[in-house]
This record gives sequence, C-alpha cells and structure tokens, in this order.
Amino acid sequence: MSMITVAGRHTGSPSIHGSMAPIIFMLVLLIICIAAAAGNTSEESFLDEVKAVDRKFDNRSVPLDHYVAEDTVLAKENYQGGPFRVLARKKRIERYKCSSCHGDKPITVNEGKELTHADIELEHGRSDAGLTCIDCHHPEKRDYLEDKKGRKIDFDHSYQLCGQCHFRQKRDWLGGAHGKRVTNWAGDRVVFNCTTCHNPHSPRFEKRFPATYSVPIE
Amino acid sequence: MCSDRPKSNDLARLPLFEQAGSRRSFIKSLSIAAAAGSAALTTGCIPSVEAAGSEEFKLRWQEFFKKNYRLMTQEEKDATVRRLERLAKMSDDLDIQMTSHPPLAGVLYGYAFNITRCEGFMECVTACVEENNLDRKTNTQYIRIFEMEPGQLDPSTGDGQYYHEVPVENKFYMGTQCFHCEKAPCTKACPTKATWKEPDGIVVVDYDWCIGCRYCQAACPYYGRRFNWGKPEVPQEEVTRRQHYLGNRIRPKGKMEKCTFCIQRTRRGRLPACVEACPTGARVFGNLLDPDSEIRYVLKHKKVFRMKEELGTQPKFWYFID
Ligand code: SF4
Ligand code: SF4
Repeated sequence: MSMITVAGRHTGSPSIHGSMAPIIFMLVLLIICIAAAAGNTSEESFLDEVKAVDRKFDNRSVPLDHYVAEDTVLAKENYQGGPFRVLARKKRIERYKCSSCHGDKPITVNEGKELTHADIELEHGRSDAGLTCIDCHHPEKRDYLEDKKGRKIDFDHSYQLCGQCHFRQKRDWLGGAHGKRVTNWAGDRVVFNCTTCHNPHSPRFEKRFPATYSVPIE
Repeated sequence: MCSDRPKSNDLARLPLFEQAGSRRSFIKSLSIAAAAGSAALTTGCIPSVEAAGSEEFKLRWQEFFKKNYRLMTQEEKDATVRRLERLAKMSDDLDIQMTSHPPLAGVLYGYAFNITRCEGFMECVTACVEENNLDRKTNTQYIRIFEMEPGQLDPSTGDGQYYHEVPVENKFYMGTQCFHCEKAPCTKACPTKATWKEPDGIVVVDYDWCIGCRYCQAACPYYGRRFNWGKPEVPQEEVTRRQHYLGNRIRPKGKMEKCTFCIQRTRRGRLPACVEACPTGARVFGNLLDPDSEIRYVLKHKKVFRMKEELGTQPKFWYFID
C-alpha cells in the first residue's frame, strides 16, 4: 500500500533530472519501504513483547500504603506465582461454630425459624435437581463441609469444595481471571474467597438498581 | 514498546521549552505592582489585586511560573506539591496530602474487563467519582457502562444511559474509560506537551500546562477524555485527600481530565478504585511485566480483544470473555 502511494507522488515530481535520478529514486523508495515495514512490525509486536517478558517481578519491592485489614488464611493450593492468601470465612459466619448447637446436648428452640435454618432459601444447583444441605455440609462433623470424595473441608477453604463442580471458575480464580484481589495489586497476593462474594445458598447476584446513572458526554 | 517515551533532552530541544529560563527571568523581573495591575491578572489563574503581597499571592505567583512537570527536578516537584497543599488549605480549608511519586521500575500497567461478568451495577463509576474528586455538579464520570445487545461489540451501539434493575436477561455490559494507549494519539495532538505517557504506561495530563484547547479530546478515538468547564465541585467532606500531582488533585477550571488508572493509588501498590469497588470481579488490573500477574494470566488464557484494534493505538485495556 505505502509503496504505491509514495511512487505515485514521486513520479509526478518534475524536480528529478539526469540519468542518476531513477536509481536514486529507487533507493529512496527502498529505504521508505523498509522503514515502513519495520514500523509495522514494532506496532504489532507490543503484546508479543509484553508476553515475552518472563523475568520474575518482585511484588514485595513495591512500597505499599495500605495493608489488607481482614483476616486471611494461607491457601492450600498455589497460583502461578506460588503461595497466596484468601480471606478467612469462619469469623464471618454468624453462628459458627455449628457444633455449639449441633451436638448431643438438647437445645431449646425459641426463634424456631431462624434456629432451624428455615430462613435459608436454597437456590443452588440445577432447577430440576437442586442441592440439599448435606451436598456441601458434612453430615456429622458439623463444623466442616464435605466434598464428594468424603473429605472434610474447612469453611476457610471453601474453594476446595466449590471447585469440584465449578472447576473452570476455580482454575480462573487461581490464575486471576475470576474473583479478585483485595486492596493491592502488589505485595503478597490476597484474594477473595468464593463465599466472600457469592452467597453459597443462592450464588447468583441479585438484580438491583445500578449505583448511579450517566448523563450524555457533552 | 517504550520508543515514544519522553526524553528530557528531546523536550529541551523543542521551541516551546527553549528559552524557558529567560522568559521566566524576564517576566519575573517585571515589578510585581505593575504586573498586578495588568489585565492578565484578572483571568483567575493569577491572584487578584487584593491578594498582592500576601502569602497566597506569593504561592500563586510561583505556581504560575513553574515548569512543565516533566522538566521539574524532584525538588521542584516537592516544592509545587507543598505549594498546592498550602493553597488548598488557604483557599478551601482542605488538609490534603499530595505526592508526586515517580513510576515504579519494572512496572507497566494493564487492565482487563470481563464482559461475561459485568452485570451493570456501576459501583465502579461511583467509586471513581469519589476517588478522583470528579465534579458533582455536571456529574462528570471517567467510566461509562453500556448495556449491549448480544453479538454487538461496539459500545456506541449500546445504551449508556440505562437506569433500571440490572442485569437484564439477554444483555451484557461493557465499560469504557481511557485505555492508556501505548501509541496514544491524544498525546501527539497536544500543542503544549501537557499530556504524555509515563514510563509505567499511564497517560497523564499536567493540569497546569494544559491550555484547554481540547485537541487531545478530538484525537482520542475512545472518548476517553473529559473537559471541565469549571473547577470540580466536591462537597468538602467528600474530597479524597490523598492526591497525586498527575492524578486526582482538584483540577483548575478549563482543563482536560481523564482516568489515570488512579495513579495516586497504583504507584503505591493499590488497586484502582474501580477495580476495588467492582462487586463481580469483572475488572482485572496488574503489572504486564510480571509473568505471574493476573493480567498476564488473562492475556495468556482468555479470548481477549481490544477496541478499534485496527487503529494501531495499542490500548492497554483488553476485553475478555470467560
Ligand atoms: S484512550 Fe484516548 S485518551 Fe486514553 S490514551 Fe488512548 S487516545 Fe489517549
Ligand atoms: S486540552 Fe490540554 S492536554 Fe489536551 S491538547 Fe489541549 S493543552 Fe493539551
């Protein structure tokens, strides 16, 4: 493309005279074409250049103004950069430990609906075959969850449980395309737990009005 | 990648910056009294006659004759930051903490937006408005969220003014803001070199060198820039006090503003306000030069695209689908 336009512009020029003119002209043309080609490759390769960087970056070298204030636990798996932390859950579950009611001793039920968890609306799983409590909760050891292989799972590490069905989300969560980091992009990696954002009993986000609205630009 | 990075000796060769010293010394040598009476001093950027002789006058006078940010030494940057802090205290009774933190070595910021996840809640927009001290009177917003029909990928076909319960079935949501182009056309358009790309990839504006001509806005293919017709009005208790010279400091009247990837936060390791506020995790931010970063994971493992890629502007803002 660029060759045609340049040639068109220059052949019409009356200022080139003498027998050397065509040779000089061809040389100039050649240089322009090479320069143009070089320019194009550098444009296309920005992403490749970025992807080619594989030197480790020390995230701890970045000076931080803010630290994560919430309780965190060391995740039981690694992401591509090594170990990381997740927001803890147990302290945020109102009536944890569950075994304080679910035990041998008799309990008087005053707030019946609440204490029997009748207030929980379960909207999780396929519409024709929704999940039940013990699909996720441990049937005996009430302070834990239980996965399909019968392993006890800590509430702080619920990602281990969610990931058995939502394995694609889990993979992206580990990598960083699902979920989010807390507060900082640098420093030690701390991410939200699955249940920090999703209500496990009804994981879809509820519909609501947007936080604001926009006016047309100018 | 970094070829169009500004070099200070390049700058010094530009006619604009030549003779800067002599121009300054010439004007400085004029008597203050004579200058205070001149018509130029009624324009607003320069103090009024009543203020002559006061501390405020002195500060504004020094502010008026300071250099372009890129030509300042660190001492000069510190000095202007202190002046601006003092002026904010004097004229608006605001205790602000302004910084001029330089770019971090080995960092190039990148952003990704998950169009499968965004549900149109617009919490990013309000967080941005608060963080960056955007004008509440005209409802200025750096971020736009568009409600899109399936199959469409150009926000101009979407609805940018929706206000109903979201998400709506069979629609998806797409956010835009300044994309911090590697080959940013806006910076080339500026006649006063008031806007440029920093070494960490953030495209910034020196509000005190911007003359408000809006050439850059016309050159931006993404509607990334916002011109202010007045000094941003922010209720005093809502002003974000941690500020950066090139970021969320309260801009003077008649300047070009835009998203700065929250430079006041990101240069201290913090996420931009929009990323932190997003309730769905649709916004991913990080260091492109860190092979282990979340943004690099997205670029490697997801289907990504950028807006108007054919223009060759190389935005550092990618859309992706799950
Ligand atoms: S999106 Fe627009 S304002 Fe932002 S860098 Fe690109 S051209 Fe400039
Ligand atoms: S509006 Fe300001 S930043 Fe934009 S081109 Fe004009 S002087 Fe430069």
